[in-house]
Amino acid sequence: MKMKTQRQNILLLIFLMASIMGYSQVKISGKVSFKNKGVSEVNVTLKDTYDGTTTDAQGNFSFETSEKGDHIITFTHPKYENIERTVSIENQEISLNVDLKEQISEIDAVVVSAGSIEASDKKRATALLSPIDIYTTAGADGQISSALTYLPGVQKVGGTEGLFIRGGTGTESKIFMDGSLINNYFSNSVPGIAGRDQFNTSLFKGNIFSSGGYSALYGQALSGALMLESVDLPDESTYSLGVSPIFLNAGFQKLSDNKNYSYGATAGYSLLSLMQKVFNFNTDFVEAPQGFNGDLNFRFKTKSGGFFKYYGMFNSNKMGVRSESLEPKYDFSLVKLNGKNTFHNLSFKQKFGKYLLNVGGSYSYNRSDLHFSTETNDIESNRSQLLTDGNYLNFKAVLERKINRISALRGGFELNNTDENLNFEAVQKHYKDLISSAFLETDLGFSNALSAKIGVRAEHSSFLGKNNIAPRFAIAYRLAKDWTTSLAYGLFYQNPESKYINGPANLGFQKSQHYIFQVQRASEGRTLRFEAFYKKYDQLIKTFNINQDKEQNQQTQSALNNNGYGYAKGVEFFWRDNKKTFENIDYWISYSYLDSKRDFLNYPISLQPSFAAEHTLSAVAKRFIPEWKLGVNLSYTYAKGRPYYDIVSTFEDGKAINYPRKEGRLKDYNALNFSINYLPNIGKKDAKAFPVFVLSVSNILGSKNVYGYNFSADGSRSSAIVPPVNTFVFIGAFISFGVDNTDDAINNNL
Amino acid sequence: MKKYLLSFALAFVSLTAFAQAGYDKIMAEKIGRIEVCKTSEDFQALANDFQRIGSKESTKWLPAYYAAFSYIQKGRTLMRDGKMQELDAIADQAEKQLSMAQNLAGADNAEIHLLRKMSYSLRMMVNPAQRYMTDGARAAEELNTAEKLEPANPRIALIKAEDVYFTPEQYGGSKTKGLEMFKDAQAKFKTYKPKTGLDPNWGRGEADYFLSLQAEKAK
Repeated sequence: MKMKTQRQNILLLIFLMASIMGYSQVKISGKVSFKNKGVSEVNVTLKDTYDGTTTDAQGNFSFETSEKGDHIITFTHPKYENIERTVSIENQEISLNVDLKEQISEIDAVVVSAGSIEASDKKRATALLSPIDIYTTAGADGQISSALTYLPGVQKVGGTEGLFIRGGTGTESKIFMDGSLINNYFSNSVPGIAGRDQFNTSLFKGNIFSSGGYSALYGQALSGALMLESVDLPDESTYSLGVSPIFLNAGFQKLSDNKNYSYGATAGYSLLSLMQKVFNFNTDFVEAPQGFNGDLNFRFKTKSGGFFKYYGMFNSNKMGVRSESLEPKYDFSLVKLNGKNTFHNLSFKQKFGKYLLNVGGSYSYNRSDLHFSTETNDIESNRSQLLTDGNYLNFKAVLERKINRISALRGGFELNNTDENLNFEAVQKHYKDLISSAFLETDLGFSNALSAKIGVRAEHSSFLGKNNIAPRFAIAYRLAKDWTTSLAYGLFYQNPESKYINGPANLGFQKSQHYIFQVQRASEGRTLRFEAFYKKYDQLIKTFNINQDKEQNQQTQSALNNNGYGYAKGVEFFWRDNKKTFENIDYWISYSYLDSKRDFLNYPISLQPSFAAEHTLSAVAKRFIPEWKLGVNLSYTYAKGRPYYDIVSTFEDGKAINYPRKEGRLKDYNALNFSINYLPNIGKKDAKAFPVFVLSVSNILGSKNVYGYNFSADGSRSSAIVPPVNTFVFIGAFISFGVDNTDDAINNNL
Repeated sequence: MKKYLLSFALAFVSLTAFAQAGYDKIMAEKIGRIEVCKTSEDFQALANDFQRIGSKESTKWLPAYYAAFSYIQKGRTLMRDGKMQELDAIADQAEKQLSMAQNLAGADNAEIHLLRKMSYSLRMMVNPAQRYMTDGARAAEELNTAEKLEPANPRIALIKAEDVYFTPEQYGGSKTKGLEMFKDAQAKFKTYKPKTGLDPNWGRGEADYFLSLQAEKAK
């Protein structure tokens, strides 16, 4: 080849190389914003090249490129939707500003939290606590219902079992397990001594406690609801043993090799007599409380992705109480209880594409056999028996469809069947009711900062022969990074309690309306919550005492009509600091103010009810000391004295009239509780057994709290209703074999 | 004609070599920044850089690996500052990158399993008491898998040493045993040879740092 062409070729090559290497760099810069605020950490990339950069704290970016021609610039960030912009790179600087759109995510989306406190593992605004927090609260005595009294909205009422929420009675709140109603969550009891939780806390992986405004999926509770969620498959097979002076229990959980199914059982026996010998009991137990309980569970996953859970339990308890009689003719009054309860729950859930099906049912049988008598000069007389037994069947099916990542529609129906018998002297009452309900609810997520929940529930009661329809509405809005606010409104209906149905009357549903407003700030380790509520009660039942000459705890009220009404309003504060301010110390403070009056049952006029205290303050603190493998828990509750009334019924001009013979205020309630749990084998990976030793002292200061008063038939004498023992000391050891079950053992008995 | 072809071939080879050189150059540059990054913002920017490279080089596992590594380092920085709330989101991003890396490199890559372990450990730190049985157990499994695949890997020895060093005595940890393991890790760093100049080679500085602390104490 000629020299000239060779040179030309080399020049061509150099020119080619030069253009590829591209001397000239062009600067591309700009700002990325969301709602007029710069966004940092956005990845700015010139697509298909290595060129790009990350936005700074103000959202500004700037980078240089030697690329030329039409290119795409991408803007990506996990919390925002990806944006692309086409640019034409020549020789001048390019400047572009971009506005981002938020990516809707389940984790960031705001959730309705008014009236709701969740104890679970999930990261949600409603999850203020984890399950272990509730169970390790000193003074909770191993019962979920007691632990809830340290949270805002729950009143401390001693002599009767139940969740007394914001001025409502213990029967105005209901407890559910995996969606199905538990008709007898508490054990049978004698008047004046509260029954206990019949369910072990270790059975549940979480719970949602609603102090008002709860979902349309639940009904028949004027005040609130506790939704318990049972555990799924265990992590491993275990055996456990619990020993203490007042009970003995043993159990096992076996997980199949393919981890597709598990089964387990526990059995236990409890007897309080040893404690009676050591402590000075207020209550004279002529027959120490004792009981036998057992439970069975079975869980399995089907091949198509469904999950079945069965749980069944049996509990029997006995006790005999002797108290000084208020009637002059007798020395003592005796009451003996023989109670039996069995509960079975079967639930099933499965996902079908966008649909989720939840079906469940429960069956309970409960029997309470109370024998009343009086004793004079060691001779028993005036024997009477109150025998109640009930069969309850519940069924619920819910179908849910996801509309998008944060919206869903769900609907279903529920059946609650009650069949009760009551025998008291000449009275033989048979009560039957089938409540059929249908409900519809939608979760609407408009953005990560705004969501709403709208629902409606309709019920029909076969006993009342009436229908009701109840709307429920709630909205949640994120004000700022850590601040959210929630509003809720709902209408709630409840049948009159069967124990008041003792005569012919034209009755209907009782009704309550809830208005709730909440503001919450949740940041790293700290939660502050403020809630204000107003509840309006209507159509509450009015009753009349049909056998007044009897001793107070054998008097029977009978419902006349639904002319009762009332209101409850108040504010609540909750502050929790989980190891943020004080090293290793987790504490929370809860304050509730309640102003409530109602005219219901045999109240002569609208009065502050005996189960509503104006001020309730609780403080709970916990510290785990790793060096000593010791957990220390402290709790304190103060509640302003509740009112008490002695209400009598008479007939005047053929009309039933109730009047307060006596009224007063109980002394303020306070109790300081302390507990420690010692886990010697924690962290030892090769240990075979994992014991937990628990020591708990309730009411250390020995405050002589009074729950109420009993009055004689003529009202001239009274006696205080007090806890069975002022200061209760519990000591116990829980050992599990097979896996580190220290969590469970703490759950079970603190 | 032959000369044209030759020069054309030359140009083509230098083009692809230039492209490869471009990848090597930018990777080396960014990998070099790992030791320099201090704040969580630094590590986020580095993670973005590696993700950018990864979008272009969709057949190479190293960009995704280093992006995950940068996210994990960001998480460890936040953890040291007590900011546990963001760790789950960071672990999400890290695990996303690790899945991509694993698809390209295969399931028998010890370095990827080690990073997975570190990601699960970050998740556990959000609530150790609650997550010990779930994320803690997953982390232990990944570490085991990594160790079985490459027993001589110094980074695996380093992370094992860190775990033992930082776990409180009551839970089975030990500062003295940890320091012994750091020595072992240091020895492995001396003998281990990464496959290429871009393969993971981090961690030597950390081992040296912990052993220097002991030397300080001894003085």
